[in-house]
Amino acid sequence: MSFPKDLKYTREHEWIRLDGKNGIIGITAYALEQLGDVVHLELPKVGESYKAGSTFGTIESTKTVSDLYMPLTGKITEVNSAIAKDLEALAADPYKNGWLIKVAVEKEDGELISAGEYESFIAED
Amino acid sequence: MEQSLKTTALHALHKSLKARLVPFGGWHMPVQYEGVIAEHRHVRQDCGVFDVSHMGEIIVSGPDAQRFLQFVTINDVSRLADGQGQYSALPTAEAGFVDDLIIYRLGVERFLLCVNASNSDKDYAWLVSQKDSFQVTVDNQSDQWSQLAIQGPRSRAALGVLLSAEDGARVDRLAYMDIIAVHIGGAPAYVARTGYTGEWGYEVYLAHAAAPDAFSQLLEQSSAKPIGLGARDTLRLEAGYLLYGNDMDETVSPIEAGIAWAVRFDKGDFLGRTIMEAQKLGQKPCRKMVAFLMEDEGIARHGMEIFKDGRKIGVVTSGSFLPTLEKSGGMALIDKDAAGLDALIEVDIRGKRKLAKVVKRPLYSPKVK
Repeated sequence: MSFPKDLKYTREHEWIRLDGKNGIIGITAYALEQLGDVVHLELPKVGESYKAGSTFGTIESTKTVSDLYMPLTGKITEVNSAIAKDLEALAADPYKNGWLIKVAVEKEDGELISAGEYESFIAED
Repeated sequence: MEQSLKTTALHALHKSLKARLVPFGGWHMPVQYEGVIAEHRHVRQDCGVFDVSHMGEIIVSGPDAQRFLQFVTINDVSRLADGQGQYSALPTAEAGFVDDLIIYRLGVERFLLCVNASNSDKDYAWLVSQKDSFQVTVDNQSDQWSQLAIQGPRSRAALGVLLSAEDGARVDRLAYMDIIAVHIGGAPAYVARTGYTGEWGYEVYLAHAAAPDAFSQLLEQSSAKPIGLGARDTLRLEAGYLLYGNDMDETVSPIEAGIAWAVRFDKGDFLGRTIMEAQKLGQKPCRKMVAFLMEDEGIARHGMEIFKDGRKIGVVTSGSFLPTLEKSGGMALIDKDAAGLDALIEVDIRGKRKLAKVVKRPLYSPKVK
């Protein structure tokens, strides 16, 4: 499995597309494959602030609930409610249409790794 | 960790099918192949085959076999003709569940008990501990049998792939819960018309040596797809069937679990009888099992607390996304008088109270009969 090189990743399987003071965040195709069928997604509200490493939502498969962790500290500016209602589309396009939240970056204080480092990381699994 | 898990005769086959294998009750079992939701839908619309070889098989025989089983189970085995089966439970003296099970009468004073995988050793030890004053032999044959469940509207066609024309004709005469002896792969086998999915189907007991070819033939020569334990759970939950360890254990009675129909008080004395009778007559406070569907977004899971009018009234015993209904729901054990049909209840989902509604069991109507 390969991962888009223009994105940064976390060891909790989130990806982030950084553009100046804004970020778009989602989860990787690897995480979706591990989860299996996604049956529920809980996303935060616009205007809420989250610290790096804190839980901004949850993603549920038939058997498990997983937390979604913030890759950095920021304030939610947009939430992808459409994907929450069309969960099959999430696995189909995790890096573009499958974005989960958009944020205004307050502090880049999370541990972000490159596509190559993420690939090595999951190979150890 | 993996070395200590038991594997079935189909383990290599599951790996070749790219199954996701997980520990379950001490066994390494496929939880999914293609995906839980796709597998679930295929069973309801077509046919699925499940490796359930981890289930236990115990033979009870001898001059007192029937008398013994009357005492240690809730249902009335004297109602069984040769080749008939019934759903039942092994109660404790305090009316809790040791296990739920299906009992088949194979012949005069000879019975096959099919028990839960997680309880087969426990159930065997329990039966042995209860048999002192009876002339009965209890034989744990769990290690000797592989088992396949073939379930769905096309299950009869799939099963036909494994049987001679003559055995197929005998299968066609099976009433629901009947069992017959057949041959599969040249070795003795049993076919019972029953299942855990709410669809027409069969449970097949066969020799380990015959199991891999049988499984492959089903996949290659019929429309059957391999189905994992994940879909087995969503299917049984929709159909309203209990899962030991989730819905009941030694602290829950058959009356509370909603299977009072399987408790036959007119058959004579049996373990836990007095307590069950008191519960049935409303003389003892007790709980009741209800089915519910979520009204708010969110998935209720085992262990989540249930509230009504600000008061805790019970707990979710089984909960999941339900692929056929395309909603979430499940079963819950609540105080008997706390919420009736159509009542709104609240499920505490990770700190947030979400609305749900008590509905009729089962969530999905079985087509088994």
